Amino acid sequence: MTAVKPILLAEDNPRDAELALAAMEAEHISDKVVLCHDGAEVLDYLYCRGQFKSRLKGNPAVVFLDLKMPKVNGLEVLRTIKTDVNLRPIPVVMLTSSREERDLAESYALGANAYVVKPVEFHKFLSAVKELGSFWGVINEPPPENCRSTH
Amino acid sequence: MESASNHHSQAPSLAAEEPASSSSVPAGSFSLYRVAVAWFYRLAIEQRVLAGFSLVFVGILIVSAVSYGHIKILLANRGLDGRSQELIQLLNNIDVAMNEAEDTHRRYLVTGEASYLEAYKQVVKQKPTFTAYLNDLIRESPEQQQRAGLLDRMMDRQLNAESKAIAQFQEGGFRAVKKMAFEGAGKHELGVIHKIIAEMDVHERQAVSWRVVESSAGTKTTVVLLGIGALLQLVLLAWVYYLIRHDLRERRRVAGELQRRGELLEAANKELEAFSYSVSHDLRAPLRHIDGYAALLRKAVEESLNDKAARYLQTISDSAKQMGQLIDDLLVFSRMGRQEMLHTPVNLDQLIKNILSDLRLDLQGREISWTIAVLPEVQGDPAMLRQVFMNLITNAVKFTSTRPMATIEIGVQHPSSTEIVLFVRDNGVGFDMQYAPKLFGVFQRLHRADEFEGTGIGLANVRRIVHRHGGRTWAESVPDKGATFYVLLPTRRRDS
Repeated sequence: MTAVKPILLAEDNPRDAELALAAMEAEHISDKVVLCHDGAEVLDYLYCRGQFKSRLKGNPAVVFLDLKMPKVNGLEVLRTIKTDVNLRPIPVVMLTSSREERDLAESYALGANAYVVKPVEFHKFLSAVKELGSFWGVINEPPPENCRSTH
Repeated sequence: MESASNHHSQAPSLAAEEPASSSSVPAGSFSLYRVAVAWFYRLAIEQRVLAGFSLVFVGILIVSAVSYGHIKILLANRGLDGRSQELIQLLNNIDVAMNEAEDTHRRYLVTGEASYLEAYKQVVKQKPTFTAYLNDLIRESPEQQQRAGLLDRMMDRQLNAESKAIAQFQEGGFRAVKKMAFEGAGKHELGVIHKIIAEMDVHERQAVSWRVVESSAGTKTTVVLLGIGALLQLVLLAWVYYLIRHDLRERRRVAGELQRRGELLEAANKELEAFSYSVSHDLRAPLRHIDGYAALLRKAVEESLNDKAARYLQTISDSAKQMGQLIDDLLVFSRMGRQEMLHTPVNLDQLIKNILSDLRLDLQGREISWTIAVLPEVQGDPAMLRQVFMNLITNAVKFTSTRPMATIEIGVQHPSSTEIVLFVRDNGVGFDMQYAPKLFGVFQRLHRADEFEGTGIGLANVRRIVHRHGGRTWAESVPDKGATFYVLLPTRRRDS
């Protein structure tokens, strides 16, 4: 096992991001979190381009995706990840306010690994983010890196 | 249907108006006309068209009757004309025959030639045939019959006189009848006969010419009548056509209007859907932030936090949570209104069992006596009906929470072939019946928030779902004794 894999959090709302980070901080995993402010940034990170050109190679342990994001929305990012052979193994967790059936159905149809509705109550949100972070970031064994060829 | 009753109610007023206005005829007929027009405008389109077609039908009947009558007269006249011609011919023949009788008997008297006698006897033999034929031809005209009687008598007299002269000639020779031979035995009678025949002939010719005048006058009247009738019927038909066309146009216009409104409604519904979707996302985020930052604040100032400040922070969190609950309930309510409905058999027994098992945790620490009847199977959407009974049962549980021993009864009332009435009865706090109409409204609460929690949307959902199933809801209560909530469901499917 090499360096700890990062957790990619895609969240356009800075307050939501701050609250999520605060929750992860309590679990001491906040330093592993890479924050992206929209879908385009997520794709930049995954394909090592733009501001992430010089980042360490390797896929994140998990991607937490919001549905409603500027530029490229969550479902489009999900579609890109799940149709790319190299990115497909990355676990993707939809983290959203929407409980709408069609969002759920579409996410799972595109290959989302989990779908979590952000609870309004902070303590529930806190425990949800904590559990998600520790499960996907620590407990869950990420897919091996050999499926990713170097550029 | 309304206009039909108007029709009946109009009849007495029409009758009442007549004597009052009969003093002056034009005013009376005018008001009658006005009443008729008023009556007509109250008729439904079907009745107007029927009235129009009836008038056309009556017109056709009248024209047909007139034509039939006229043709009948024409045909009868033609028969009579033929008879008259025959009569004229016969009279001519009789005239000739009687001349012949006079001529031949005289020649016989003079010459004694037997061939003349033979010719004379021929005429005598013909006479009854002439009489019979004549009587047959004039059997319908008394005037001619009178003349014919006279003619018959005269002919008899002439022939008798001549026969007598012949007999005398045969007995006494030419000398005995010399005078008669030169003058003719029935000369006088023959003159009368000529006169009668001429009279009869003139009479018959007059009758013929009179019938010609009558026929042509009748034909003219009939043609004029047919023309007027055809014109009137054309006008009536044009009017009926106008009525039908007007009605069709109106219907088409209304249909177009309905479609336009339907489209507007659909657009509004889509907009509403987009709106509620947006509400569910965009309103939740700030609430999450309020609660989240309140929690972070509490954590940040934990050491210096006094009771008052702690309560303030708690209130901020509680308010945010409450609003979150409201948004969730509203979204469910809006979804219940537009969601596609299933129509499958729903086993209510099983449904209630599942609900009670789901409520297990909430029911811990409560003393509740349940009475649940055997419930029938109904047609409907299982998830929606589950929501109905979940709401009614949680309400019953909630509003009996102040009772040391709660009793909740679920049962069926008046099951019939077309509908069933289900009820949920409790011995809870109940409500004042004067507020019953408000009970099923959105955000309507009959209890203060600190008495019983809730967003006031549960019963609105119940009503909306039951309405979509084609049913009804109502409630009865005695304050502080308990309440009963009724749900009527039709047993046969009805599209919402």
